[in-house]
Amino acid sequence: MTTASYVPPSVLPPLAQKFAPLLKRTWFRELVLAPPTITGRRFSNKTEDYGVFMPSRVARIAQVSIYVQDIARSRRWYEKLAGLRHSRTCEEEAHPFKEGWRIRCCYMSAAQHEECLVLVEERDPDGKVTVPSGMSFFHTAFELQGNRLEDTLAFAAQAKQAGFIPNYGPVRHNGEPPLGDGETGGNVLLFLRSRLQQHRILRGYGHDRELSRPLRHCQRLVAGLTTAIIAFAVSS
Amino acid sequence: MNAHVGDAPIAAAKLQHHVIYVSDLNRSKDFYTKLFDLQFSALNHPDSSAAMRLAHMEMHFFSFGFYHHDICLVKHHKLNMDNGSMLHFSLVARDRAAFDAIQRRAKELAIPTRDGRLIASAKALPGQRAFCLQDPDHHWIEIIEEPAQ
Repeated sequence: MTTASYVPPSVLPPLAQKFAPLLKRTWFRELVLAPPTITGRRFSNKTEDYGVFMPSRVARIAQVSIYVQDIARSRRWYEKLAGLRHSRTCEEEAHPFKEGWRIRCCYMSAAQHEECLVLVEERDPDGKVTVPSGMSFFHTAFELQGNRLEDTLAFAAQAKQAGFIPNYGPVRHNGEPPLGDGETGGNVLLFLRSRLQQHRILRGYGHDRELSRPLRHCQRLVAGLTTAIIAFAVSS
Repeated sequence: MNAHVGDAPIAAAKLQHHVIYVSDLNRSKDFYTKLFDLQFSALNHPDSSAAMRLAHMEMHFFSFGFYHHDICLVKHHKLNMDNGSMLHFSLVARDRAAFDAIQRRAKELAIPTRDGRLIASAKALPGQRAFCLQDPDHHWIEIIEEPAQ
């Protein structure tokens, strides 16, 4: 995709974003879900309907690489917002699967995860930097230092103070007031919009120990690991 | 433990989960569960979730076996997905046997693979094995075996 005029879509349509904070209110969720309730299509959103009983063949996510239009600008965004460290930026190299195309990679590290994020400038055969679309991935989540609810809330305040304007959250992905938004997972979530308009959404999660039944199954499988998560991420 | 101490700014500690768009949830669910033994942990649907109804999305959650979700697949019911914002993502196999099992399963499922890391400039540790493949929506996935410590 090389059309410079293309603007990535937002995760939520603009009108829905205005109502999103109300998802923390049970009456609003019931109102939104009135059509499937009335027609009998509504079903449970509870994670305990599905059990996680065994480990998979995968231990963890090692790396995510995303297209950006300007490595320097995106690097500053991640450094300022999430405290990511710049590990290295490489010279241009051949695109791994597009013949005649080139990429330049900037490797970013988190506090406990070396080179977890790769910011990639992609150039078409004419040498033009392509414009990311926004519809390959929804977000990537990072675990925050501290890994507790209060750390995520403090992170939200810190991000706001740094000029990142929250547009949703913090909410918790369960149905319990005051933070619950009726979703699943138990994690605390924060949406922020980048002023750069390139990476639009930042999400902050802080899973705690009050998670769903499937996770408790998992905890029995891998006892001793922390359940707390953090995260935040991207939708460009 | 990655406890945050003092007045220093709170930073990201590590990658946790990744959420990708797909065009056919059932096809992708079949792919990820068969290849990686990912565990289906939750389903959010416009008929079950107010947020999904507002966003016109449906989301399937998968666990590696500990967290509630590690990989999530999302179908947007209004917008079409593409491959224009993500180059790839990497998964670390649980151990040597799991790496071999994923490779063997890919062959059984007739999924084309290529050896080595996807990006030439990515670090390759001594003794590290890696191969890459594409999911049904052509998202590139890199599978890595981390050398024994």
